[in-house]
Amino acid sequence: MATVTLPARPRTEAVLWIRKNLLSTPLNVLLTLLLGTAVGGAIIALVGFIADADFTILRVNLALFVVGGFPRDQLWRVATSLGLFGVMTGLVAGLVWSGAAARAREAGLPVPPRSSLRQIARRFWPVGLVVAVCLGLTQTLGPTISVVSALVLGVVANRIGQAVPHKWRRWMWLLALLLPIVAYLTLTMSGIGWDQWGGLQLNLFLTMAGIVFAFPLGILLALGRRSSLPAIKGISVAFIELVRGVPLITLLLLGVFALGFFLPLELRPSGVTRVLVAITLFESAYIAEVIRGGFQAVPPGQTEAAASLGLTAFQSTRSIVMPQALRATIPAMVGQFISLFKDTTLVAVVGFPDVLAGSGFANTQAAFNAQGLARITLPFVALIFWAGCYTMSREAKRLERRLGVGER
Amino acid sequence: MTETTTTAPAQPMILMEHVDKFFGSFQALKDINLEVGRKEVVVVIGPSGSGKSTLIRCVNRLEKHDRGRVLVDGIELSDDVRKIQEVRRETGMVFQQFNLFPHLTVLDNVTLAPRQVRRLPRDKAEELGMSMLEQVRIPEQAHKFPGQLSGGQQQRVAIARSLAMQPKVMLFDEPTSALDPEMIKEVLESMEELATSGMTMIVVTHEMGFARAVADRVVFMADGQIVEVGTPEHFFTAPREDRTKQFLAQIL
Repeated sequence: MATVTLPARPRTEAVLWIRKNLLSTPLNVLLTLLLGTAVGGAIIALVGFIADADFTILRVNLALFVVGGFPRDQLWRVATSLGLFGVMTGLVAGLVWSGAAARAREAGLPVPPRSSLRQIARRFWPVGLVVAVCLGLTQTLGPTISVVSALVLGVVANRIGQAVPHKWRRWMWLLALLLPIVAYLTLTMSGIGWDQWGGLQLNLFLTMAGIVFAFPLGILLALGRRSSLPAIKGISVAFIELVRGVPLITLLLLGVFALGFFLPLELRPSGVTRVLVAITLFESAYIAEVIRGGFQAVPPGQTEAAASLGLTAFQSTRSIVMPQALRATIPAMVGQFISLFKDTTLVAVVGFPDVLAGSGFANTQAAFNAQGLARITLPFVALIFWAGCYTMSREAKRLERRLGVGER
Repeated sequence: MTETTTTAPAQPMILMEHVDKFFGSFQALKDINLEVGRKEVVVVIGPSGSGKSTLIRCVNRLEKHDRGRVLVDGIELSDDVRKIQEVRRETGMVFQQFNLFPHLTVLDNVTLAPRQVRRLPRDKAEELGMSMLEQVRIPEQAHKFPGQLSGGQQQRVAIARSLAMQPKVMLFDEPTSALDPEMIKEVLESMEELATSGMTMIVVTHEMGFARAVADRVVFMADGQIVEVGTPEHFFTAPREDRTKQFLAQIL
């Protein structure tokens, strides 16, 4: 009896599962049929759409979507900075691993395994998918070569970062953090300023620069809000509540169209600078509120213990409260960064050629005008943002789990 | 007052004079007068809400007293931050909930204050930290995180963390109240050894066995007042006050 039922068991369980969850009552049967038809129909429609669609508009305008109006004879700069980012990412990942491994060895715990390329592929598949789609649309070999070399450089840098001797680690970290600056200089030297940037590159730049500038400012505002000095507290609260009470688009419009009236001509910043200032101010207020939540999650016993040991208020904030508060805010912080990434498309509204604006431009070109091709370009833009945001949120969950190890 | 302070006119380690403390309109401490001599071990007992914790938290200014004077090793506590820091450097405190720093390893918990407050270099601080962990008999846990230890181990780390500052006074705020019964003993043993080594201690506890065996004096508090002070022998065999008798009858 048992020998007969054993092989059939998985199938029986599947059937049981379907019966229990999808067909348990007449209403459930009806719902299953309706939803099954809807989902199936949607999938068939989507496959049909992709099969029939003409992606010429994307093929012709790929550079517009990715780098906007960046001079086409200078694209090697973009390729170089991509390679530098590859090196930085690989190096940082390798250094993080070798640091964790060194700590584990010191503590006599098992050394964490290196992540294999397969695991990396599984973690970053949405981004990989978008990159593959883009490379599939290219008409020359240049982009493919630069993406592949960036990946190879990343892997090599990763191995170097893992193998680097302990005494050099500090310098390697410094090097890794200097690389984005080198990448930035590569992009901007010889007069290609921010104002010639565009496409996805502009969105990514605004996101990264926004985080880099708004994060420290947000920490200062959050600390200011906790301050016992009424003036500092008042200014922080006023700033945070003022900025949070205004839509980002209003701040962007103010920055672009109204800031000029308040500043003398020689001090008027360039267009992208204005947008970046507006984004930084906006983000810093939200980040400050996120961090404030983190402060509240640190039990008062922690500051009492620090005080009882003779730590000053500054030392206690820096070494005890801040690390725990920031750790507690990782999920909310990443959520904030994700919405910043998406919000950068608002610059399209105030006239900057970002990736969303690229969709608009492409549809005004003579070859594609008034053919409703936004049905192709807009989903393409959406796919890019979805891949970035979904990956960020998955990585945040992973980080949260890993940092949870030392938690009480 | 007691037989222990034979080193005649020496300045007391801790001196509290006419201390009052209010939380809003509630008076938590009423006219507290207490002297703790050098190397003396004072155990404070009393019903919950009687002000025991508030009393020792006034000694290192985790609570600010509203009236009267508090002196630690001759330093008077006031709003002067430098004086407060000075007192806290000399005063260790162990909490009911351990309050270890969960994001730091055990060794980093112990070496943090010596490095940041005493400015010891890392290797010196770690040497000191390891010797403190040996003193509470958990050097093998040095590289774990607090969350990986049992309650008793965590509390012993907390003791080592305070001792690493080489304080002159140790304050214990119900150090065993949050522990499972089987772990209480290991913590009390560490405290007993500390007392034997000549540390000045104020211990708020419900462990009457510890009070009887280790205390030089027992202080009984109720309703924010010190009701009775005496040697353990006197205190547990022939208490004077009715409140004390009542309390002892309830818990013994």
